[in-house]
Amino acid sequence: MRTSRLIALAVRNQFLEWAGTWWFTVSLVVNYAVGPLIGLVVWSAVLPGDEVIVRYFVALTAVHLLTASFEDYTFAESVYDGTVGHQLLEPQPVVLGPAGANLAIRLWLGLFGLPLTVTVALVTGASYRWQAVLLALPSLVLAALLRFLWTWLLALTAFWTERVHAIVGFGNILVFVFGGIAAPLGDLPGSWQTAAALLPFHAMLGLPAGIAAGMLSGSGTAVALQAGWCVVLTAGAMAVWRSGVRRYTAVGA
Amino acid sequence: MNAVSVDGLSMTYRVPVREAGLKAAFRSLVHRRYREVQAVRDLSFEIPHGQVVGLLGPNGAGKTTAMKLMSGLLHPTAGSVDVLGFTPWQRRTPFLKQIALVRGSRPTGGAQELTVLDSLQYQRVLYGIPDTDYHAGLDELIGLLGLGPLLHRQLRALSLGQKMRAGLALSLLYRPKVLFLDEPTLGLDVSAATAVRRFLAEYTGQSGATVVLTSHYMADVESLCRRLILVDHGRVQYDGPLERLSAQLSPYKLLRISAPAATKENFEGVAEAVATHGVSWELRVPRDDIARVTAHLLTTLDVIDLAVEEPSLETVLDRVYREGL
Repeated sequence: MRTSRLIALAVRNQFLEWAGTWWFTVSLVVNYAVGPLIGLVVWSAVLPGDEVIVRYFVALTAVHLLTASFEDYTFAESVYDGTVGHQLLEPQPVVLGPAGANLAIRLWLGLFGLPLTVTVALVTGASYRWQAVLLALPSLVLAALLRFLWTWLLALTAFWTERVHAIVGFGNILVFVFGGIAAPLGDLPGSWQTAAALLPFHAMLGLPAGIAAGMLSGSGTAVALQAGWCVVLTAGAMAVWRSGVRRYTAVGA
Repeated sequence: MNAVSVDGLSMTYRVPVREAGLKAAFRSLVHRRYREVQAVRDLSFEIPHGQVVGLLGPNGAGKTTAMKLMSGLLHPTAGSVDVLGFTPWQRRTPFLKQIALVRGSRPTGGAQELTVLDSLQYQRVLYGIPDTDYHAGLDELIGLLGLGPLLHRQLRALSLGQKMRAGLALSLLYRPKVLFLDEPTLGLDVSAATAVRRFLAEYTGQSGATVVLTSHYMADVESLCRRLILVDHGRVQYDGPLERLSAQLSPYKLLRISAPAATKENFEGVAEAVATHGVSWELRVPRDDIARVTAHLLTTLDVIDLAVEEPSLETVLDRVYREGL
């Protein structure tokens, strides 16, 4: 109860914090929408008249915006400038702050980005079955969690290195290649397709978009695997957090 | 029962070192070298509930490290700390709800776009402050710190002095039992520093909180602390009342004398003249000789005014920092 109140408060605070930089949020929307939209243009040219591919990339734009994670900025910077010390002395788990910031930024990205996505859907004539969209929602929630955990895990390397942006940048490349932006899962070459299906990156983006577009049959196993990756990354993030804080409090805060 | 007990506390940092130049840079890729820096060595002291203690020392003496160890930000290499019955670096929630660390270099944390009032309301939820206590505490802090005009301003838009006032309000709203103040008047102008000092004196008097203060400004120490712990090279060099520090650390007193006819020769072999302003002289006299010298000067000179003073804390500490004990 207290935890949910604190998260709600952190979301509110960060929502207000980001209200002061709405123009920056707009630039983030453009940054995050441009990848899937280029994919839409390219793959529409490769597969002209394929309605599923249009539906997939439009949905992918929305998923990309709603799962965006910036913990290399919202958390790692606080390690570098020392303000994480304030957070360590607050009577709440430190992760609640970055989690609140994450949700608040996604709210802003949704506010600015979803109208853009709807516009693209109207222009391209993409239409969805509401059952497919509903079916995609649990996967979208897990994707949002998974992507936060992935970026948070990479951002925690700030305890060891000052090059966290390069590390998170590499993580984002993996998401781009295996996540379904470069190509839908079904269009990846054989062994890449197998790897992408097993790795967590497709579950961060392409899976909910694919379910909403109606291009994935038997997605139950994929969602189960997605949940499994959430457990693995949670455990990993907890272990790295403990180790990072131990180092931080040993070498100087 | 003590609020803070520190026993044999030591903290050693391992810092990477390498020589200058390209060759050394390449060598360090495969063979890193480290040097150990002992920030705190075998520190031991106890602070009873409600006491206000000044933790002093020159730059690099280990004061801030000691503060971070006591507040739970750092894990020591050796020794133990007990604050209100808790081990600080375990950072248990009941412990964190009873302490505050206020740093002059960074008075406010959290979202800087929020207004002061937003931030105070956040503290209310974070520390579970009941509504009635929140409103009473807020009113008190607004009065003591003159926060009224700042409540609806964003943290990022505040001046350093205003940020310090807001930081104090945020840290004191939940009435911590132990307060660690690390350079609370750092960078503040005279008026802002005086206001903060006045507030802290009133707050500690009213709340009965235990306070550990570090500061390079002697005015902070003199106005707030009755007890000083002097740390240098990570060790306690002095622990006792403020008043005894000068007597113990400085074998001299200052004798100020106004005598229109006096010349330097009048003081030769009697006292050391350290400064002169017109007809006024400032003399350094060994403590044991003060009565004899005063009597001598009064009989040999036409004295208008005479005062015997303890050397300023600043002077004493400067000497201790430079020459050691």
